[in-house]
Amino acid sequence: MRFKFNQLVGALALSLFFFSCENSEPEQPLGAYEQGILIMNEGNFGTNDGEVYHLDPSTLTLKPNVFETENLRPFAGLLEDMVSVNGTMYLVANTGKVEVVDAGTFKSLGAVSGGLDQPRSLEVVGSKLFISDYGPYDASYATPDSYVAVVDGLNGGMVTKKIEVSNKPEDLIAFGKYIFVAGSEEGKVEIIDAEKEEVIKVLEVDGHPAQFFEIDGTVWLYSTDAEEVYFQSFHMDNLTKATTNALPVANATGRIAFGNDNLYYLITSTGWPDFEDGVSRVSVVGTELDLDWITGSGFYGIGYDKVRNELYLANSNGFQGNGTVTVYGTDGTEKRDFEVGRGPSGFLFY
Amino acid sequence: MILLLWVVSFLGSAPIVQDTVVLSEVEVYAPKIERFAQGQKIQVWDKKSLENFEGRALSDLLQEQSPVFVRQYGAGMLASPSFRGTSAGHTALFWNGLPINSPSLGQSDLSILPVLAMDQVSLQFGNAGALFGNEAIGGSIHLENQLQFAKGFQASLFQQVGSFGAFKTRAMGSYSTKKISSTTKIYREFSKNDFPYQDLGQIGTPEVKEDHAAFEQLGLVQDFGWNINSGSQLKAAFWLNKSDREIQPVMGSNTNDQQEDQSLRAVLDYYRFGSGSVWNVKTGLVKDQLIFNGSTSRTGQYFLASDYDKTFSGKLAMKVGMRFTQIQADLSSYSTSDQRVEIYQSTKFNLGKNYTLSLNLRELVYQDQFAPFSPSIGLDWEIWNHQRSDLLLQSSFGRGFKVPTLNDRFWVPGGNPELLPEESWSGELGLTWKVKGNVNWSNQLTYYRMSVDNWIIWLPQGSVWTPDNIKHVSNQGIEYQGESSGKTGEWDWVLDWSYTWSRAVTTSGIGESDPAIGKQLPYTPQHQANAKIAVSRREFSSYLSTFFVGKRSVTADNPRMMPSYQLFNLGFSYRQLTWGKLSIPVSFQINNLFNTDYQVLYLRAMPGRSFQFNLSINL
Repeated sequence: MRFKFNQLVGALALSLFFFSCENSEPEQPLGAYEQGILIMNEGNFGTNDGEVYHLDPSTLTLKPNVFETENLRPFAGLLEDMVSVNGTMYLVANTGKVEVVDAGTFKSLGAVSGGLDQPRSLEVVGSKLFISDYGPYDASYATPDSYVAVVDGLNGGMVTKKIEVSNKPEDLIAFGKYIFVAGSEEGKVEIIDAEKEEVIKVLEVDGHPAQFFEIDGTVWLYSTDAEEVYFQSFHMDNLTKATTNALPVANATGRIAFGNDNLYYLITSTGWPDFEDGVSRVSVVGTELDLDWITGSGFYGIGYDKVRNELYLANSNGFQGNGTVTVYGTDGTEKRDFEVGRGPSGFLFY
Repeated sequence: MILLLWVVSFLGSAPIVQDTVVLSEVEVYAPKIERFAQGQKIQVWDKKSLENFEGRALSDLLQEQSPVFVRQYGAGMLASPSFRGTSAGHTALFWNGLPINSPSLGQSDLSILPVLAMDQVSLQFGNAGALFGNEAIGGSIHLENQLQFAKGFQASLFQQVGSFGAFKTRAMGSYSTKKISSTTKIYREFSKNDFPYQDLGQIGTPEVKEDHAAFEQLGLVQDFGWNINSGSQLKAAFWLNKSDREIQPVMGSNTNDQQEDQSLRAVLDYYRFGSGSVWNVKTGLVKDQLIFNGSTSRTGQYFLASDYDKTFSGKLAMKVGMRFTQIQADLSSYSTSDQRVEIYQSTKFNLGKNYTLSLNLRELVYQDQFAPFSPSIGLDWEIWNHQRSDLLLQSSFGRGFKVPTLNDRFWVPGGNPELLPEESWSGELGLTWKVKGNVNWSNQLTYYRMSVDNWIIWLPQGSVWTPDNIKHVSNQGIEYQGESSGKTGEWDWVLDWSYTWSRAVTTSGIGESDPAIGKQLPYTPQHQANAKIAVSRREFSSYLSTFFVGKRSVTADNPRMMPSYQLFNLGFSYRQLTWGKLSIPVSFQINNLFNTDYQVLYLRAMPGRSFQFNLSINL
C-alpha cells in the first residue's frame, strides 16, 4: 500500500477507505494520523521550520506541528515531500535528511541523515529506499551532480550508492522493480532497475517533468513548459513512451491535484510583471479546459479531497508567517479557510 | 580552572608603579557626535571600557551592554543590530565619520567588526536623518579611532587564548611628536569554533561538536595625524579587514557554505581652525568584497564632503555642509552605479543658561529622486544643576529615511526600481538624574515613539521574490539605565543596570487580513535587561555581568515563540604585572558562566561556557 501526496492513488485510497470502514477484519487499526488529511508545510528557507499539520475533515479539528508534538523535537528541515508506504511515513527534507516515522503515530523510527544534499522525493522497492537528490550547488547555483541515492533499510540508515541522473530530479514512482525518475531540468525520464541499482533507460519527454501518477496500471507523467502542459503515458511492457496530450495552459508551476471525473487542477503563476496566480481545471480524457477557474496570488500547494469533493488550495502568505488553506467546492465557490503552517505546499488525503 | 588559579595567585604580589613621563595630552581633532544631538539618547564606550571586549566582536558589546538587540545567526556568524524594534537595515554605521554600511545590502555584519580595531564606540538612538543621513532610523553606530600627539613611542602586544580553539592576536605600535602622530595595529583573530551543542535536527538529539563554523580574521589599521600648523590639521585612517568563515549551518541542514569578506576603508580629513570655527574637508572610500561559495559581489563607495562649523557666540552655533557619494556595484546578478548628493545644516541655540535647542535639516538626492526631507529638533533642559545633584530633561523629534538598497532596486530577478525610500518619524522624552556624593547615582529614563512607513519586504511572486513598500510599523518603548559607584574600604565598585521595553507592531501588512497586523515584529524581544557589577582594588579588578533577552517570535504572525534566556559573564584582571620596563596586564574571562543552552534565532546553535585568557605586553 502506497500513498504519495497529490497523486491519483487517491482513488485507491478512497476504495481502501471504504474497505476499512466496511470490513472489520482483524487488520491493524489505523493510527490517528492515517485518517483524515495531512497538510505538508514546507517551512522557510534558512529557518528550517517545516512541519506537518493534521486535519480531521469531519470535525474540522486541526492539529499543528504533528512531528514536534509526537517527537518532542523540531522537524528542523524544509519539508519537500511526504511519502507513506506500508504504514511508514517518509518525510523528505530538502535540507539534507529524510525522517522516518510511523504513519499512524508519527513517532520517529529512524532517519537518513548522512550522505544526502538536497533530497526531493522518495520511493520504496523491496527493502530499499530510493531518494532523488539535486546534489550540491556549484558556484553558479547549478546542480551538475544530481543523483538518486540508495539506502538499504526501510527505517533509513546510510546511503550505500548514488545513481547519477540528469539535473534536478524531482518525483519518483515505482512500478514493479523499476523506478521512474522525473528529470525536471533536462526533460528526461530515467528508469532505474532497483535490483541492479542503475539507470537502464533514458527517455526524452516533452516539458519539464514534475509529477508521476498511475491510471489502471499505467504510469503517467505531468510536465510543464512556459506555454503548455503535457500528460504523457508510458508502455509498461517495453518501457517506452506511449501517448502525449498537450494542453495550452501557460505558466503552470508543476503543482497538480487530481479530482473526481478525470478533472485535474493545475496551479499557474505568471510571474513578473503581473504576478497573477491561478488554478486551471483541465481534463485529458474529457474536454474541460478552464484556464482561470480560480485566480488570485500567493498560491502554493494544492490537493483534492475526493471523498468530500473539495479542492484545497494553500496560500504561502509570502512566507512571512503561517500560510492559509482555502477550501473550494466543485463549482469554485469558497467554503472555508483556515491557518496552517509555514509555506503549505501539499496535502495527503487518506 | 588552572588558568583561573594562576591569575588569582598574582593577587598577592605587590604592584609596582611604573615610571611614566606625563606629557601634555593633545588629541587629534574629531567632531563630537553629540554636538548638535540635543534631546537624543547617546551611549558611549571609551577605550578603557572596551578593554573587556578585546578579542570579541562589536555585536557582543552591543548585545551585552546596550538596549540594542543583536540577531546572531550562530557563533561568530552574521550579527545584525535592531535598534528600538527596527530592522538591521535601519541602523547607520560610521567609521571616523564615514558611512560604511554596504550599499548593496544596506546593512553591516557586526560580527566582523572586531572591537580590538577601534578606540571608541558610540550609539545614538532614534531617527537622525537630519544629523546622520541615510539609514539612521532606529539609530546609528559610530566607531572612532583616536590619535594623540606628543606621546613618544608606544608598543603593545595583545594575545588571547580561549575555548573552542580561539587564538587572537593584536600588535600595535604608535609614535607621536607634537607635530605628527601615527598608530599601526595589525591583528589576527582565529577560532575553530568547534563548540559542543545539542543537535535538535538529528534523531535522538545527540550532543555534537560544531564542525563548520571556523573563522579567521586578519586586519590592518593605520591612523595618521599631522599638525600642519597651528591652524590646520590633517588626519588619515585606513582599515583593511579580511574575514574567512565557514558558515554555521542551521540545525537540520548540512550546508557547507563558505564566505569571505574583505573591506578596505580609508578616510582623509583636513581641518582648518579659525576663531570659533572649524572647516572640514573629508574624502574617503569604502570597498567591500564578499565571496559566497565562489560567487563574488563587489561594491565601492567614494565620498567627498565638506562642512563648516561656526560658534558665533555663547548663544549660537551653526554647521553647514554637503557630501557627494559615488557608488559602484558589481554583483553576480547585476552591475550598477548610483550618485548621491546631500546638503545639511545644524543650528544650536542656548536659550538662557538652562536650555539648549537644536534644529537640524538634511536633504539627500539619489539618482534623480529626492529622499524625504529630514528635519529634527531637540531640546536639553537642565531643570536643576546643584552641587550634589542635577536633573536633565531631553526631548527630540525628527525624521529618518532609508534609500532602498541596490539589491532592492536592481537584483536580477526581482529587483524593483520603483521602490520608495522607507521613512520614519520618531520622538522621545528622557530624564537623567545624577547624584554625586560618597555614592554616586545616575538614572536615565527614556520613552520613545516611532512610526516607520514604506517598510520594504521581499515577497515571493510565483517563483521570483521581489521587494515592495509594504509594511507600516509603530514602535514605542522605554529604556532605563542606572549606575551607581562608590568606595567601600579599599574597594572601588561600579554597579550598572538597564531595562528595555520595546513594542514594535505591524500596523499594516500584506493586505487587510495579514495575520501580522497588531503583532510584535519577528525577532524583536519586548523585554531586555542587563546588569554588571565591577569591583577593583589597586590593580586588581573583577566583574560579573549578566544580560537577559525576552521571548521573541520567529515570524511576523507570532505562532512560534523562542524562549527567553539569561547569560552571565565573569572576569578578573590584574594590570600591574611588570617585567623590566614592560607592563603585562593579564585577564581571564568566563563567558556564559552557567553553560546555558540558548538560541538567539531559531535552530541556530550557540556556544555554552567558554574561557578566555588575555595577556598584553605594553612597552
